[in-house]
Amino acid sequence: MEYKKYILPAILFVMLIIFMILFFGSQGKEKTPDKRGSDMLKENISEEQEQELEMKSVVLFFISEEDHQLYKEEREIMPGLTLEHQIESLIEELILGSEEGFLSPFPPETKIRGVYITENRIVYIDFSQEFQAAHLSGSSAEISSIFSVVNSVAYNFESIEKVFILVNGTEQETLAGHIDLRRPFLPRYDLIHD
Amino acid sequence: MRNNLSFYFILLLSIQGFLFSQSHPSVELSVADYPDHSRVFIESSHPMSLSVEKSGEYIMVRIRADDPFRIRKQAFQSQRVESIEWGRGSDYYIFTIKIAPEDFVVQKSVSEDSSLVLIDVMSSSNEMEENHDHSLSRSRGLNSTESSAAPQKEELRTIVIDPGHGGLETGAEGRFGTKEKTVTLEIAQKLKTIIERNIPYRVQLTRKEDVDVSLERRAAIANNYKAYVFISIHANGSYRRTARGSETFFLSLNATDEEIRRLAYMENNSSELDGIQSEEQDNLKLILWDMAQSSFIRQSSILAEKIQTKLNTLSGTLNRGVKQAPFKVLTGVACPAVLVETAFISNPDEEKNLTKDEFQESIARAIYLGLSEFLEEYSL
Repeated sequence: MEYKKYILPAILFVMLIIFMILFFGSQGKEKTPDKRGSDMLKENISEEQEQELEMKSVVLFFISEEDHQLYKEEREIMPGLTLEHQIESLIEELILGSEEGFLSPFPPETKIRGVYITENRIVYIDFSQEFQAAHLSGSSAEISSIFSVVNSVAYNFESIEKVFILVNGTEQETLAGHIDLRRPFLPRYDLIHD
Repeated sequence: MRNNLSFYFILLLSIQGFLFSQSHPSVELSVADYPDHSRVFIESSHPMSLSVEKSGEYIMVRIRADDPFRIRKQAFQSQRVESIEWGRGSDYYIFTIKIAPEDFVVQKSVSEDSSLVLIDVMSSSNEMEENHDHSLSRSRGLNSTESSAAPQKEELRTIVIDPGHGGLETGAEGRFGTKEKTVTLEIAQKLKTIIERNIPYRVQLTRKEDVDVSLERRAAIANNYKAYVFISIHANGSYRRTARGSETFFLSLNATDEEIRRLAYMENNSSELDGIQSEEQDNLKLILWDMAQSSFIRQSSILAEKIQTKLNTLSGTLNRGVKQAPFKVLTGVACPAVLVETAFISNPDEEKNLTKDEFQESIARAIYLGLSEFLEEYSL
């Protein structure tokens, strides 16, 4: 019966050990993901910083006065956090104009009022009224302007299938009397100069 | 703002047009001579109810009229038609057409909406070899006098010509101030004359004067007249003054292959629309109506090719070829439809040409020849 008096301390000792194992063990486990999480966060930030430094190379299409065909010019744009931002900076480059004497479809004072992308791969680009107000009437001029924008966007962003042009926040019937603006445009690569 | 203004302007014009046409129905008379026959055109602003009778050396045309008409008679010189006089009865007008040859045959054709009547006069001697329609009535046992007393009614097919722009919408403008809306109307009127004098079609213009007509309305006019062909006339504008030449467009659907496939399926299986809820059904029908041109793309491309070939050989303008683009005015038209950019009004040389009668005639003639070739091949 003498051994009975050791039982309680032994049980207590075992329980203490189990408790300690559980306590320190779980603490250790909790610490590990914490550490990993912060590491991942750090990695993310550094990746983004690196991305921001890398400019995105794009191709823009400007209009030739001679034959109304579209001519390629390369540009570097800020990559931006979202696709909408990237499309906006691409259009801003188009507004800034050609470096090789071709025409931009936009008067320099044109502003972008918004860029929205829908689930069915259509991008809505809303321009200030300058785009329409001073536009030359004539089918050739109108077709060139529209597809300078549409081709430039669709060529550089594979996830965009069609481009819908809005002016001053609303759908327009036509840009200057001919081409239907009430439907989104597919790109027309046949209008590009070889 | 511009849209608002043009809206009120259109409203004003249509109210004015309505009042005007209500108070003064008009009838216009003209005569044209051809080698084998002469044709009297009776065109009214309203549908006409009329009878044609041959009486000795006269043709008597009686038009029912409850209100007075405005009658305009164009001066003419004709081998067969000597004179046209008119008088008014209690509820009718009577036109007396005096014919020169002693023995003649009369044939009447009426447009679908009864606002245009053509009366063809030919001398009996050459009628047998040259007039198929008449030999048809002969085979039914009718002699020439009877056939003129009970003329055969023949439905005329309509070709709709659309003079681009108009009213506040001036379109492109040249350096010497020539406006696109002016030259498109002049060319369209010349084209109408050439077509009606040469082939048995009736021509309807989407506008006869300098007024605003919306693009949707132009397509609706074509569909309401059950147009057989639709031709829109334009003059091009470019940033650069050296751009020149003519081009002919037909519609590009601006749709992915998948969308085209779906649209074609819906068109061919319209009975399936019955199973769909009415609101959704209306939307689908609206899309089909809106894209009415989609079923005629192939014929439109052939028409465009034929017209462009003739423009190239006849008008002397640079051939810019046949092209495709999503033109608003073509989308809703339910028949073969093209848009002709006749020349560049922004090019000073072509601008000068566009104001000249001879140049306008040569353009109209080229379009007519392309059209008639198309009609020969595709008429039923």
